[in-house]
Amino acid sequence: MAPSKGPNVGGAKGVAKGGAKGGKSSSLSSASRVSKSKDGPKRPPAKEQKTKPRTAQENLKRKKKRVYTEKELDLPELNQITPVGVIKPKGKKKGKTFVDDAEGMMTILAMVNAEKEGQIESKMMKARQLEEIREAKRAEAEARMKERKNKFDDVKDSIRQKKKGGRGDKAAEPTSIKDSISKPGRSKKKTVAFA
Amino acid sequence: MRSLTEEETRTIFTKLAAYTGRSLNALITPAEDGTQSVFRLQGSRVYYMRKELANLSVSFPREALLSCGTMVGKMTKTGKFRINLTALDLLAQHARYKVWIKANGVMPLLYGGSVLKAHVARFSEDCPENAGVIILDSNDVPLGFGVTARSSAQIAKLDPTSIAVHRQADSGEYLREEDTLFTT
Repeated sequence: MAPSKGPNVGGAKGVAKGGAKGGKSSSLSSASRVSKSKDGPKRPPAKEQKTKPRTAQENLKRKKKRVYTEKELDLPELNQITPVGVIKPKGKKKGKTFVDDAEGMMTILAMVNAEKEGQIESKMMKARQLEEIREAKRAEAEARMKERKNKFDDVKDSIRQKKKGGRGDKAAEPTSIKDSISKPGRSKKKTVAFA
Repeated sequence: MRSLTEEETRTIFTKLAAYTGRSLNALITPAEDGTQSVFRLQGSRVYYMRKELANLSVSFPREALLSCGTMVGKMTKTGKFRINLTALDLLAQHARYKVWIKANGVMPLLYGGSVLKAHVARFSEDCPENAGVIILDSNDVPLGFGVTARSSAQIAKLDPTSIAVHRQADSGEYLREEDTLFTT
């Protein structure tokens, strides 16, 4: 069905166009004949002709036939996604740029070396600073520990002295009392019991 | 086989400079007898060889050429560079920092272990943290390379069981990675 329809339609169109063209040509020829044959009295029909071509399809078709290129139109370019890597400068050479000469290699190596040494230097500086800080912290902690220990020892000593003093007083009194009251034999027994 | 581009050269030198000092220049500068050595890229692998050898290698088709000179490492698809164990000889000659390990640390290293503080016999002075080091045994034979876990000052205070150097490559790979070491 489809193939049969196609040609029919096309044919019809062709026919129609052909008919229109034919009509146009005939009218033009008749007008020219009329103008040639009679000069003055037949001007109104000429006016009608002026109005016709502006609205007529023939004139429009003529305008369409003039093809403008993109540059002539000077329209803004389409919004296209062009990745950064794709756009290449026009004058530049295509492909990779090799480093085969010793001088080029040496310059690159010198740059890399300088960079690396800078990094190492900064690392070392940082490490030294950190080490200093650590040392200072450690020294501080040690000093604090020592202080605490000293304090503790002082407290211990004071308690010992207190105890000694207390005992000494207490022991001195009873012994003196005991000595005064009790016999020397009993006191000996007590000392043994304490020991 | 082709010579390296500027970017590739920079990445390779940056990586090599992590392990070597200023003497890396000696790799490129022509020797006293006039021979010059160059870096070449074959597939993703980077080789270091004499220039004459590089020129001769052009006569072989790329597919047929398996290896040429000393393999330094591999370029990854993301543009980074991985140093291979085979570059150990180059690195050891121009090393910036070195670690000497005791006999008790050699076998653990060759089996793929890290270097512990207990294994360290000597350490280069003023070595920062995360710096590339060459690991040598007590007879100055290079065994591999790695990255320091701590700075040399801190390592002295570490426990004997704590890691001093993280291993990157060791000579044991010649046996362990025998199948894949030279495959392209």
